[in-house]
Amino acid sequence: MRNLLLFIVKYNRIILFILLEMIAVYLISNSYRYHNSQLIKGVRKLTLAWEGVITDTKNYLRIKKINDDLQAENTALWNLIEKNIIKTDSSFLQINDTASGAQYEVLPASVVNNSVNRIKNYFTIDRGKDDGVDVNMGVISPWGVAGITVASSNNYSIVMPVINTDFRLSSKIKSNDYFGSLIWDGKDNRYAVLNDIPQHVALNEGDTIVTTGYSAIFPPGIMVGTISEFKKSGSDFYSIKVRIATDFRKLTYVKVIRNKRQEEQLNLEKGFQ
Amino acid sequence: MINQLLRYTIIYIVLLLLQVFVFNNIQFSGYVNPYIYILFVLLLPYEISGWLLLIISFFAGFFIDIFMGTAGMHAGATVAAGFARPYILRAISPRDGYVADRELSMVAYGFNWFFFYALLVVAVHHLVLFYLEIFSFEGFFRTFLKVIFSTVFTVIFIIFAEYIRKGR
Repeated sequence: MRNLLLFIVKYNRIILFILLEMIAVYLISNSYRYHNSQLIKGVRKLTLAWEGVITDTKNYLRIKKINDDLQAENTALWNLIEKNIIKTDSSFLQINDTASGAQYEVLPASVVNNSVNRIKNYFTIDRGKDDGVDVNMGVISPWGVAGITVASSNNYSIVMPVINTDFRLSSKIKSNDYFGSLIWDGKDNRYAVLNDIPQHVALNEGDTIVTTGYSAIFPPGIMVGTISEFKKSGSDFYSIKVRIATDFRKLTYVKVIRNKRQEEQLNLEKGFQ
Repeated sequence: MINQLLRYTIIYIVLLLLQVFVFNNIQFSGYVNPYIYILFVLLLPYEISGWLLLIISFFAGFFIDIFMGTAGMHAGATVAAGFARPYILRAISPRDGYVADRELSMVAYGFNWFFFYALLVVAVHHLVLFYLEIFSFEGFFRTFLKVIFSTVFTVIFIIFAEYIRKGR
């Protein structure tokens, strides 16, 4: 209080000056509509500019959360897509049957390390055993199939992408359902090779290649790529060059797919192989 | 003391009447509005304290506002002039300094000193007055031109007034 008084005494001239000017402006704005509106306009401009700065800053600080929310929403929507729900024959469907829920679950993940220039490429994602990620799970990018998990620690997993010469994927041509095995020949990270399509099948450049779902890793019908070139070789099969839908050079966000019934399917099949 | 109060009251009333009845009627070409009443703020004694100078300046402008119906514009401008006056006096102080009970007039300190003193105070007054009138920085240079022209004319009239006072 004493300091305040000292301050007022010390700067009494300036304080009085500001006070009297304020009175003058008040008088002016009270009696002139124009001055009043100018004053209000100025104040509003000032507050608007300041509010804009605050909003921008807030949004920027929240950007990570917004991103996470969007990703979660995206995942939830993906889980809703009909093709991911097992179509139970209506005669077996029971009320409250939990088995009629989704067979596939997806988990968003970020790529933390990536290689595209080697023969045996791998990339690393930031999800591991703690998040329920295990080996032999499918990984998809926003464009289509990306790879299969081959190892996982508590927080990270290694994914073998399509562009690894050890990669095998059972794929089919969407238009006529003929299926074959997709491999990568180690040459160009934009193209893969689809084998085992017999020569009597009619093909067109640009035909879509999707997953079959036979391997119990990917759901059926996930985008793999498009036919860019095909030719008849000496054998009974085509040699088909496939343009891979996923661009591995700019892979950032992926989704890990968990097939809830993978174990059951593989266990059953094991006895017959 | 009472004598001085009376003297300044008379000066103020004369200036106010001159302003309202004479100078308010010579607003030619829209650029030149001389406001001679500011001479009152110039003439206030040197030893007056800062806050009193501000309050007297405020009311000097305020009564002009009442007569001209300009609500606060002249009050704001004269307060600014009263605020700037001590700084201006310090900046242009004559070689022998100021003498306590001498009027800050041309008779006491000479033409050169008085000219600069009047010019600076009037410039501050007119700057604040015309920008308060426009109340916006749009057309900044047009208003500035108006400030310069009016300042020149006001200073000329103030020096005339000082010559008349001197000759009396």
